[in-house]
Amino acid sequence: MKTNLFGVQLKASRALRLSVLVALLLPCLSATGLVQAQQHISKRYPAGKNLRLELKNISGEITVESWDREEIRISAVLESPAAHFSPRQMGDGVIIDVIGENRGRGDVGAVNFKIQLPASSSVDLETRRGDIHVSNVRGGSVRARVSSEGDIDLTGISASQVEASNTTGNIFFDGEFARGGTYQFSSGKGDISIRIPVNSAFHLVAAAPTKNIALSQFWNNRFQKIGDGRKMVGDVGDGRSSVTVTTFGGSITFLRK
Amino acid sequence: MNCELCQELISDLLDGNLSREDQLLLNTHLEQCLSCAEVRNDLNSILVFCHAQRGEYAASPNERAMWLRIRNTIESESGAAVPGAAKPRPERREGFWDRFMSRSWQLSLPQVAASVAAVAVVVSLLTVVGLRGIGSLGSKGVANADGPAVTGTTPAFNLDRMSQQQQAINYWNARIETNKARWSSQMRDTFDRNLNVIDQAVNDSLRELSKNPHDEVSEEMLNAALNEKIALLKEFSEL
Repeated sequence: MKTNLFGVQLKASRALRLSVLVALLLPCLSATGLVQAQQHISKRYPAGKNLRLELKNISGEITVESWDREEIRISAVLESPAAHFSPRQMGDGVIIDVIGENRGRGDVGAVNFKIQLPASSSVDLETRRGDIHVSNVRGGSVRARVSSEGDIDLTGISASQVEASNTTGNIFFDGEFARGGTYQFSSGKGDISIRIPVNSAFHLVAAAPTKNIALSQFWNNRFQKIGDGRKMVGDVGDGRSSVTVTTFGGSITFLRK
Repeated sequence: MNCELCQELISDLLDGNLSREDQLLLNTHLEQCLSCAEVRNDLNSILVFCHAQRGEYAASPNERAMWLRIRNTIESESGAAVPGAAKPRPERREGFWDRFMSRSWQLSLPQVAASVAAVAVVVSLLTVVGLRGIGSLGSKGVANADGPAVTGTTPAFNLDRMSQQQQAINYWNARIETNKARWSSQMRDTFDRNLNVIDQAVNDSLRELSKNPHDEVSEEMLNAALNEKIALLKEFSEL
């Protein structure tokens, strides 16, 4: 009986030790698994001042920022199952087409990009899902498109053509409107905020069925309210640049710098 | 922008009398509306023709008519030269058709040009009206599971464009259905959620339009939402 009892106790203590061991090893195993699931890539290319970056991503975060070197550095963290892509340099342009290079593969892990490039570059960024951040880019054009969900932050931007659009998520623009420039912002269900210098001059067409359009200091009595305030059209200053803002289910806010 | 307003402004557009914003709106509409684009092309052709001719139009020579006039002149002169040669025929009362057919249609060159222009404009307008009729007949009451149901309360000028957009939506939807099975469940959920967001915007606009069929803001929002839906479908079909 004692032996049996002892045997039971022995089994119990073995089970206890085994479970402690497993509990200790699990975090280590899962950490190792995580390391194996992520892949890091970093590449540098020489770049002129008129660089044009074109990036088509499936999912993941895209961060683009300027630096004072005449080269572009592309860093990416690839989640499992890792997507294939190889940046191509063509003249003044660098093209990364994750969509094209993985077409038909179906389930592909997110690719999180961090790209550093000369400030005078133009950027054309597209992703099906994920946030886009662009900062301190002062080239000819900036385009950021999120097909579905993802916030778009464009800060310190000075470009003559800016286009930002998503379906779900907020859009924030902080920058300047150039003379004769074109600026388009549209969201399905997100709020759009535009922060510009107080002396900005532009022609505005803003539409939000929610009627949440706040122009703050930029409002003047030349603005025309259409459809009970769902749309506002008017000039600020001499209206030298064209700004179109549309959100189906969010708000539009103009802020002064 | 609707077709009625567009066609009123086409002439000003061709004369360069429109503001930049109106030009932009009009050109956007013309890119999407085949009927209005045809009217613009017709008017433009007339203008180009008139400018090229500078008011002087060469009429095409009609040898047969000319020969008939010469022969009539000769016969009347020869009849007058031989008294009694032609017996007076009993007078018959001429009907409208006889008078119409025997009438001498001698038009000046500007009149000919004006007539040609008038005929061209009338034919264009008839074509537009006819196409609208066909479009409204084809779209009326068509409810699609993948898109908004077009009801009789929607303004008639929307139907052509909506019909084209619906065709594009159907096309990309078919592509999506082929590829969707390959996506991860997360991607499928994301797609469905965002498609619902856009469908909500479409339905909100349609509801507003059913209350007020001439609400331009809702019309613009509907157009933008449908274009957004096409873009979403097209972009996800690439995966």
